[in-house]
Amino acid sequence: MEMKAIYDLLAEHLGAGALGFMDEGIEAHADIDPARIVDAATFLRDDERLLFNQLMCLSGIDWDGYDENGKGKSVAILGYSDEGQPETSDRVAEGDFGVAYHLYSHSLKHKFTLRVRVPRDVAKLPSVTGVWSTAGWHEREAWDMLGIRFEGHPDLRRMLLDEDWEGHPLRKDYQMPAMYGIVPMDGKPLNKNPFSPDEIAKPPVREEQPPAPDDAPTEGE
Amino acid sequence: MSRNGTTPPEGYDVSRENMLDFQIPEQFRTINDQDDKNFILTTVDEVFNWAKLSSIWPVTFGLACCAIEMMATSATRYDMDRFGAGAFRATPRQADLMIVSGTVTGKMATRLKLIYEQMPEPKWVIAMGSCAIGGGPYFKYGYHVVKGVDLMVPVDVYVPGCPPRPEVLLDGLMRLQDKIRGREGKFKAPKWIQDYAKKIPYRK
Repeated sequence: MEMKAIYDLLAEHLGAGALGFMDEGIEAHADIDPARIVDAATFLRDDERLLFNQLMCLSGIDWDGYDENGKGKSVAILGYSDEGQPETSDRVAEGDFGVAYHLYSHSLKHKFTLRVRVPRDVAKLPSVTGVWSTAGWHEREAWDMLGIRFEGHPDLRRMLLDEDWEGHPLRKDYQMPAMYGIVPMDGKPLNKNPFSPDEIAKPPVREEQPPAPDDAPTEGE
Repeated sequence: MSRNGTTPPEGYDVSRENMLDFQIPEQFRTINDQDDKNFILTTVDEVFNWAKLSSIWPVTFGLACCAIEMMATSATRYDMDRFGAGAFRATPRQADLMIVSGTVTGKMATRLKLIYEQMPEPKWVIAMGSCAIGGGPYFKYGYHVVKGVDLMVPVDVYVPGCPPRPEVLLDGLMRLQDKIRGREGKFKAPKWIQDYAKKIPYRK
């Protein structure tokens, strides 16, 4: 079934919860109300015409630097300087967070993409682990990387980073850490290149030989 | 009569070897006559260093794609066991060498330091690949990567490459053997490498 037809079925079910269908861009997708995501997911899984039994992927999105239509320029992301020190900035990211759901139906062999948008200061939405249990790890990753909180998740811990990690690294205003516990995360500058022309042009430095032992035979004996 | 009361065979010289219960075989008598040619003079350090460098047992510790090359180095085609370093131990308490083969993340760095401290002395570390040497491609935006494993543990030999070929890791192992032996390594880059390196733009 085509995506537009799937969206029409979904919009008929959700009513005002369906916010629009975008056929432009890289991939067609449907925007829906984040409060209705569990309702929409259950409908998409259980309806006999749709039967989306698999959640292929669940991705978190940071729309900082982009407008409502997804247009805009990318913002400068902080990294480490050439000397290995973390770059700092006072800029606070704006723009919403989002979550994209990529669905697939094994029996009917069609795909669908859902997208929700949540405000940045209240970055939370209902979990779909009750609908597709594979969403558990995906939502943990979205929480780990972007700090989107999923209400109703049975075990919302960090997925990849340690529990005592500070911040969420894929946010556009994330500042690189200088230390993590006892581990230094900043670098040290490379002070010289052994193959640079200056270093090669230098005469080889011969290190002093250790003194000969006393009982070594000397010349002439 | 010999010492244990038996009658010596005919022609046996009791006066010379009456303190012995057995007769020295003929071939050993011949060698005993040349005692001054049967010595090897060395020092204890030399012998111990030779033993250490001939049986460097690495700990099984693969981190990233460099570990694939490390496995290839220890497999049949390159056969790191020729140098006595093929016995990968599953516990750091039996190991002498830690080949840090890959990207060291901040989460792994504490574990890496723990494994290093569990290894008994003497112990050595080879930093294999760009990531273990200095962060590699993760230097700029790698919020999770330690910018060089030498910030965590002391490193003896750096093996460059991304990842290094098995020959390079074998060469690094031989440089480590030179270091254990207490002699200066014989490596010097060939002239064509030096000439090529002059053309590489280097950021000051």
